[in-house]
Parts: sequence; structure tokens; C-alpha cells
Amino acid sequence: MGVKTEPDDEPLIARDATYYRAPEALRVRVRAAVRAQARAQSRPMLWRWGGMAAAFAATIAVTWNVALLQARGGETERIAREVESAHVRSLMVEGHLNDVASTDQHTVKPWFEGKLDFAPRVEDLAPSGFALIGGRLDYVDGRPVAALTYRHRLHVVNLFEWPAATAGDTEPTAISRKGYVIAHWREGGLQYWAVSDIERNDLLQFARALAPR
Amino acid sequence: MSRLSRFEQLVLPHLDAAYNLARWITRNDHDAEDVVQEAFLRAIRYFEGLKGSEARPWLLAIVRNTSYSWLEKNRPADLVGLDDAGPLAAEGIAPGQAIGEDNPEVVMLQSANRKLVNQALEELPVSFREVIVMREIEDLSYKEIASIAGIPTGTVMSRLSRGREMLKRAIESRMRRAS
Repeated sequence: MGVKTEPDDEPLIARDATYYRAPEALRVRVRAAVRAQARAQSRPMLWRWGGMAAAFAATIAVTWNVALLQARGGETERIAREVESAHVRSLMVEGHLNDVASTDQHTVKPWFEGKLDFAPRVEDLAPSGFALIGGRLDYVDGRPVAALTYRHRLHVVNLFEWPAATAGDTEPTAISRKGYVIAHWREGGLQYWAVSDIERNDLLQFARALAPR
Repeated sequence: MSRLSRFEQLVLPHLDAAYNLARWITRNDHDAEDVVQEAFLRAIRYFEGLKGSEARPWLLAIVRNTSYSWLEKNRPADLVGLDDAGPLAAEGIAPGQAIGEDNPEVVMLQSANRKLVNQALEELPVSFREVIVMREIEDLSYKEIASIAGIPTGTVMSRLSRGREMLKRAIESRMRRAS
């Protein structure tokens, strides 16, 4: 039975029935799961179980982040976009990055006094591999915010801080957007948004280094 | 090229097709997502089985198997009534005979709204629903459908024509009820 003998059945349902396209969140989830699985398979048997656990953990982490993103809906997505744009702008022209260029937190912190209606947290994280290089005022989410800048090897991290709209501390979570990673968390009444083009895990490490133990 | 990047290039582009089939078989967004993720994990595990064949039917066969295992476990009632030997099949309707392009019923089907068709198709037994979805929405050939579903090409054709007939009747009775 060749293709030619197939009757010419004009699609009837094709135009009226729905073609369900995979949601974006599923795309992210599947890609992450496949990668983790492929890595696990390329390892010797001894490592398999660890790999499977890692694949599982990766899936959970991605699912959870996506769920978190969806739960908070457009709000998180919108701020993430703004933060990313602010980061890119800060690197576009020389001199945009810092209003106050200093590696000394005791110089950077007082500089914000009288410029904002809150006191940003300013900390040098050079021992953790993130050296403070300065700070500036920026404008995100319809309000003036503190932007602190850090250097990690050859990369710049922008850290935005402003008062949180909702109470309660949260653990840092990271999302990736077009080659940038954005980490977000709340702590002590402030919300923190860190953005850079470094590895996701490195940015999360930065976020955790900043959180008091 | 690494195994993973070959997979990403050959198989991953068919994610929409995979989701569409799983969604039509499970009839639920969330379940379809779980099935698709599981199917892709199986696919990468057995990627060597693809060899030179077409990626889309190969993946869809995995998606179908995964969907059926899922139904067996979670909704076994969906799987009853897979018998092909019904009155319609016995009448031996040749494929394409019952419905032609200039048939007024075709026009009726075409003008029937999306919701009507979707609902009627959803209520079809899964063995008929899946061949209609693969043929008419996914545009696969009879041969491809036969290999995906593991049935002879003749069965694909009879299920298609019987499925279309059932669909047509379901839509007609819905329209009668509506008017």
C-alpha cells in the first residue's frame, strides 16, 4: 500500500480541532530533564544513581522556579525584565555603571544617604569572589532604587535593592533570560534583584553570600 | 556532535507534536505535560533506537506508549471499548467513501465551531481519537500512524473512517440538541 493509493481525504477536523502547542514552561522543563538525563547516561554505572538523583533534583528545581514565576505571574516577569534592562544600560556607556566608584562599603553606603527613603544594605563580598566596585541610583518598578555593583572575574553583577511590597523572607531563586541570569529574594524588609551574565550557580552563590547566616 | 546536541537537534523540535498527541489522549493539560516529560526521558534513554528513521513518528510512538501506560494506571476506564468490530466496521465503509469534499456534511463539519468539534473529538474512544488526531491534526501518513500505533495500515484506515463517522454523528446530534 503506497502513498499514491491513499484516498484524498481532505482534512475536515484539521481546521476546527485545536492543535495543542507545548507551553513554554514545559519546553524549559523538558530541556532541563533531557540534559540532566544525558549527562547521567554518559557517566559510568557507579555515578548513575547520583546522576538520576541530580536529574530529579534539577527537574524539581526548574519546575519549582517556573511554578513560582507563574504564581507571581506577570509581576515577577515584569520586574525581571526591568532589572535586566537596567543591567544592560549600566554597561552600555562608560561612566553609567557607578555614581560612586569605590571598593569601600563605608564610602558607598553613606553616599546613598538623603537620596533614598530607605537604607540599602551595602557589603563587600571580595572574600567570596565578588568585589564591591561602587553604587548608583537607578529607577526600577516605578521608584528610585539602590544599585550596587560587583565584579566577579571579568563580569559585572548589578544588585538592585528597594523595600519589599510583601512581608516575609524568601530564599534566592534564579531565572535565566536571554543569556542573563536574574536572582531574586527578600530579606529584612528589602527585596533584592541580582543580575549578571555569569553562571546561574555562581549568581546564587553570590546571593547566599549576601544573606546573613 | 555530541549525543545530547544530536538529540536536541533531531527530537526536541517535535515537542509540539508530542504535546498535541499526549494532550488529545489524556484530555488534560497537566497530565499531558507529565506524560511528555516522561516520554522525552525515555526518548533520550533509547535514543540509539532512532538510528536512521524519521524522528517525529519515532518520538510519537514513545509518547503514545507513555500516554497509554499513564491511562492504564490513572484512568483505566478510558481504555475500554477498543474493539474495532462494530456495526460500522462490519458494513465495510471504504476510506474516503463516506465523506467527500463536495458532501454537504463536510461543509457542515467545516462550519461547525471549534468548541463543538473539540468536544465531540474528545468524547470519541481513544483508539479512534488518536488516529484522527494523527491523521488530520498532525498530518501523518497511514504508514506512519500504523507504525506508531502498532496496528496494520488497514486498521488505521478502518478506524479513521469509522472514527469520522462517529464524529460526524456526535456533531450532528450536538447541533440538533443546540437548535
